[in-house]
Amino acid sequence: MLTRLIVCLDMRDGRVVKGVQFEGLRDVGDPVELAARYEIEGADEVVFLDISASVEGRATLLGTVRRAADVLFVPLTVGGGVRSVDDVAQVLRAGADKVSINTAAIARPALITECAERFGSQCVVASIDARKAGDRWRVWTHGGSVRTELDAIEWARECVARGAGEILLTSIDRDGARRGYDLALTRAVVDHVSVPVIASGGAGSAEHVRDAVLEGGADAVLVAGILHDGLTTVRELKDVLVRAHIPVRAVA
Amino acid sequence: MRVTILDYGAGNLHSLAKALDDGTSAVRVDADPIGALSTDVLVLPGVGAFGHAASRLAPARAAIRDAIQEGLPCVGICLGMQLLFSESDEGDGAGLDVIDGRVTRLRARRVPHIGWAMIDESSDSAFTRAPLDVAYYANGFACRPTRPDVVRAWSVHENDRFPAMVRAGSAVGVQFHPEKSSRAGVAFLRALVRDAGA
Repeated sequence: MLTRLIVCLDMRDGRVVKGVQFEGLRDVGDPVELAARYEIEGADEVVFLDISASVEGRATLLGTVRRAADVLFVPLTVGGGVRSVDDVAQVLRAGADKVSINTAAIARPALITECAERFGSQCVVASIDARKAGDRWRVWTHGGSVRTELDAIEWARECVARGAGEILLTSIDRDGARRGYDLALTRAVVDHVSVPVIASGGAGSAEHVRDAVLEGGADAVLVAGILHDGLTTVRELKDVLVRAHIPVRAVA
Repeated sequence: MRVTILDYGAGNLHSLAKALDDGTSAVRVDADPIGALSTDVLVLPGVGAFGHAASRLAPARAAIRDAIQEGLPCVGICLGMQLLFSESDEGDGAGLDVIDGRVTRLRARRVPHIGWAMIDESSDSAFTRAPLDVAYYANGFACRPTRPDVVRAWSVHENDRFPAMVRAGSAVGVQFHPEKSSRAGVAFLRALVRDAGA
């Protein structure tokens, strides 16, 4: 299995935005244009994470997914605001390959099971936002603003038991801070679930990405800001992974 | 050339249709399994779960099977490949049974197998026409054909070696998603379908 480099585009009202610790957003471009560019640069997958709160924002998202599906030939995961099996069906119909479910699964865990049964586990990504609490990690929802009573490792295990095919694990403490991924969190979840884990939150350099794989044990790494800001490229990140003897898909 | 994607009601067919559209073929999506047989190439897409898809195919199963055995070119992708086989551990219901064998769960610690993997020992002419040595997979199950000579390429997940491609008569199946395997994958898919319909 090759380690995947996944590029995440946080979207609001049809534009890509990037914030620090879920706040302070700024516009970084058109999602379809950016996604296509990242595919050419060698991104193995693309994630659209919609943070629009409004109904209009949601309609815009579906249109964006349709446009992306016309030009993008690597897997596209869409997350944000997915609340029901029908929402999932809509997003998949529009052209997404996978759907990530976060807050809605915590409100009603059966949603994961229902989606896995209808669309297959490979379509269902359980997205978990975790924040350090003592020597454990707690799950937060609503884009990292609401604290739950769930333990991140226990919740990850339950998501898998219910049919999730992958775990997208974001450290809220590290998100946007560019101090590196939360390696202990990543390792703890990787060791306790049987599905691929995507490490997210905190990439500031290629070495951080490498460490998420070597030390965290991540099957895939999610990168956003450092690419959007031009601090590095997909090729540079993959070069560092190759030098660390981590197998990746070669950039053409 | 008419290319028809059979829609069994689960998931993304948009990008598959787009990948198949090479500018010369007429690509359509049809939810009616009998209507879908009026085509030059039938494509069984790769989204959904076996049980759900098998039950959607059940009323037309004999007709689809007969059509393929009488020579209708059929390309199965991922789940679509698995539906060419007799049955699956993933769910109840019968596959099309145009290739002997079962579909069983991958023998690995990490399942499903999601991500990019190498394609090894490819012996099919499609790989000569459009080289593809790495592709995107999203499978928890794999096909175990009774006759090993139907296998035209292999992949490995952990220690489980499984068929990446099978071909038997007018039926061909790929376990990976060429439509999600970037430009090389799309070129491969188009070559596969073009040859099937030629």
